[in-house]
Amino acid sequence: MRMPAAEAVPAGRLRRGLTEPLLPFAALALLAVAAAAADHAVLCWASVGALAGYSLSGSV
Amino acid sequence: MLFSPGWRAPVRQGQVLAVFSAGLLLGGTLTATVLWLLSGLTAPLPGVARAGLIIAVAVLGVAREAGWVRIPMPQNARQIPQEVLRARIRRGALRFGFELGTGVRTYVSASAPYVVALGLLLAHQGPVPTILTGTGFGIGRAATAATRYASRHDEWDDRRVTRMPLLKNAIALTVLVALVLLVVRGR
Repeated sequence: MRMPAAEAVPAGRLRRGLTEPLLPFAALALLAVAAAAADHAVLCWASVGALAGYSLSGSV
Repeated sequence: MLFSPGWRAPVRQGQVLAVFSAGLLLGGTLTATVLWLLSGLTAPLPGVARAGLIIAVAVLGVAREAGWVRIPMPQNARQIPQEVLRARIRRGALRFGFELGTGVRTYVSASAPYVVALGLLLAHQGPVPTILTGTGFGIGRAATAATRYASRHDEWDDRRVTRMPLLKNAIALTVLVALVLLVVRGR
């Protein structure tokens, strides 16, 4: 079976996707919950701290 | 704005971002150190009571963020003056980042920072986890500036404004889930 040619993604769209404001939240949320589930208190608190910092996402 | 694409200062914007982020980390670390010192005041409380209070505070954080309850919280209702950036851009960015990183020098527009600060006071952990939480706070604040800088487009601010209500509620809920899990797993 022939694979369809890979569609080129314009750099602007890729950059826009990678800088989506929800992405850092998703990564930190996964880290915080996974660390809590693994009983890794230090990593969990640090991630929760980072989430708290990110919740103040003002314009800079 | 500090990280807008229309940057015209004679200093590279990436350098300013690095110095600003270092200031954020220092500020967050300092505040967490103070919280660690103050957390000794809650040490006489039994562990079960402290765990229960941490969860209760996190639940209130979710409710407050959702607008179900109105709980006025202390905040320094002022903006950090733009003049700190005018004289010397690198030193100004460091100071600006430091003041933002402390979390006590300007507005606090979300519930999660209060939940985490009270959680640290109640948890009364060792210095390393407490201080690293403050460093994490600085990293979280720096993530905004870094993402804004990487976007290279003013349109990013519109996306941020659109996502903020969802983001703040999701963060309050995630903090609650993580702290409940941590308390339950730690028993």
